[in-house]
Amino acid sequence: MKKLALAGLLAVGLTGCSGSEEPRVLNLYNWSEYMPQEVLDRFTEETGIQVVYTTYDSNEAMYARLKLLDESAAYDLAVPSTYYVSKMRQEDLLMPIDRSKIEGFDNLDPELINLDIDPDNQYSMPYLWGTTGIAVDTTDVEGEVTAWADLWDERFEGRVMLTNDMREVFHIGLRVLGYSGNSTNPEEIREAYEKLTELMPSVRTFNSDAPRMPYLEGETDVGMIWNGEAVMGREAMPALDYVYPDEGIIVWLDSFVIPKNAKNPEAAHQFISFVMKPEISALISEDIGYATPSVAARDLLDDDVAADRASYPTPDDMVNAEFQTDIGDEALQVYAKYWEMLKSGQ
Amino acid sequence: MRSLMQQPFRTAVLVLVWGWLLFLVLAPNLLVVGASVMTRDPASFISLPVTLDAYRQLLNPLYLDVFLHSLYMAAMTTLVCLLIGYPFAWSLSKVAKRHQVLLIFLLIVPFWTNSLVRTYALKLILATNGLLNNALLSMGLIDEPMQLLYTEGAVVIGLVYLLLPFMILPLYSVFDDLREDYLRASHDLGAGRFSTFIHVIVPLTLPGVLAGIMLVLLPAMGLFFVPDILGGSRNLLVGNVIKNQFLDARNWPFGAAASIMLTLAMAFLMFAHRLSKRRIGEEGV
Repeated sequence: MKKLALAGLLAVGLTGCSGSEEPRVLNLYNWSEYMPQEVLDRFTEETGIQVVYTTYDSNEAMYARLKLLDESAAYDLAVPSTYYVSKMRQEDLLMPIDRSKIEGFDNLDPELINLDIDPDNQYSMPYLWGTTGIAVDTTDVEGEVTAWADLWDERFEGRVMLTNDMREVFHIGLRVLGYSGNSTNPEEIREAYEKLTELMPSVRTFNSDAPRMPYLEGETDVGMIWNGEAVMGREAMPALDYVYPDEGIIVWLDSFVIPKNAKNPEAAHQFISFVMKPEISALISEDIGYATPSVAARDLLDDDVAADRASYPTPDDMVNAEFQTDIGDEALQVYAKYWEMLKSGQ
Repeated sequence: MRSLMQQPFRTAVLVLVWGWLLFLVLAPNLLVVGASVMTRDPASFISLPVTLDAYRQLLNPLYLDVFLHSLYMAAMTTLVCLLIGYPFAWSLSKVAKRHQVLLIFLLIVPFWTNSLVRTYALKLILATNGLLNNALLSMGLIDEPMQLLYTEGAVVIGLVYLLLPFMILPLYSVFDDLREDYLRASHDLGAGRFSTFIHVIVPLTLPGVLAGIMLVLLPAMGLFFVPDILGGSRNLLVGNVIKNQFLDARNWPFGAAASIMLTLAMAFLMFAHRLSKRRIGEEGV
């Protein structure tokens, strides 16, 4: 009898699955804490499409998962940083975005579209842009911190945090030495590695999951942070300062891409369009502190958000700023080798 | 007649067991062995030709350091687990039988919560502004918060917390089998408490100790999320190296080779365990 009941249950389960209706699910693969829940809820309310939100904390992890799960089409939408857009595009991992299904492309800042990473934005739509600068807990740090080089100061021993991001960490090593943060010269990368090994005794932890947390937890006083995290962190800890270092801030742009085998590209297009609505873009920027690429959305921002230097830098802040670019696989290998040596403490 | 009835059941069980071993144990491990002798490929993870480069890379002193440090942290974990688990299991076996069931149940309850979640909870406790420091500060036992998080100690605490039951359970089973009359006999023959412990109890519980050590030491080298969450910038385990190779550096052959080395180390320990067990058996207590 029990067996019969079980078989019955199974049968019900099976027919439940074989319903012919199109899946109303969007699998969104995004950085952690990079999309307000309210936006997802409103999207579901408006379209009836459920959003399954999965997170990653590095471009490398996202890329490996997407590549590995290429066939099984686990994700409909991902948000790689600049240089990974070109890498994934060149490796034929992405599906072209149908511009006719996207509303609001004209609202985008002309400086953030048609970049080298994806000319004509065939495969990517800018989501947010931001900077990686210095966080300073001003209650625990005496004196000024104005440059990346200050992190090497002895007084910060054991109190420094770095993002768990190979390119960003090497970026500061390269900049302190006066090189470009996008260097592909193995000799320069090696020098940056050696410079960074001098910083390692000061480094307490790496975090790209929620880089504000070690500051809020009181574990670190100074180090790297993303501007949006600094804005979110300031709410809990007003003494957390965001500093634009003299050597130049790191600038990045994260874009929506649709993996080639996405199961529900239709929903992905709908979601991109939804997020690009000026009021939604403004809501996101206000909520998580990164800058929206939509000019129309910027006009809708609260005054204090629009005037927040952490989210929207002034032209002065952007002196020496450097945009992360694709450096190619060969250089990436060199970085990867030194990155591992650095983290294993050699 | 009866055996005929049993036949389909026996066949089903055999198919299930062998199927399980073939598809979920042998096949994945063969894939790992296969990946370890391939060439790294940036576009498709692995490609031909067959090479031993990945194993050569393992000889890099960098990884020897990581391995030794990892072994050291795992050994510390095992030692602490043993120091806590041995008296724990002993007293557990002394408790009335019906209470034992409840206590063992309580020991297992934490497994119902994902270990990752429990590790995050530990982080909240150990943080500079965390529960432990705040409690000690407010009691006036310390003047300044201790730096516990992102240290080697934090990793060991995390590993001990997750693995302690694996030490206690095999120890409990040997203590449970420990017969009172041996202890009485030892006493009657004039042995004091200490020498009964050294000459009777320890040898009799040794198999449990060895089993516990194996169940703790080897997993401890692989639980990469513990150093990820609690260990900060250093204190890598072998498991972290393997995970980084697969996910970040995308050097699958090397990650596979490292994981095979770990498996071999495990096999070696199990072999040693069997040998020692046989020796204990031969001495015949």
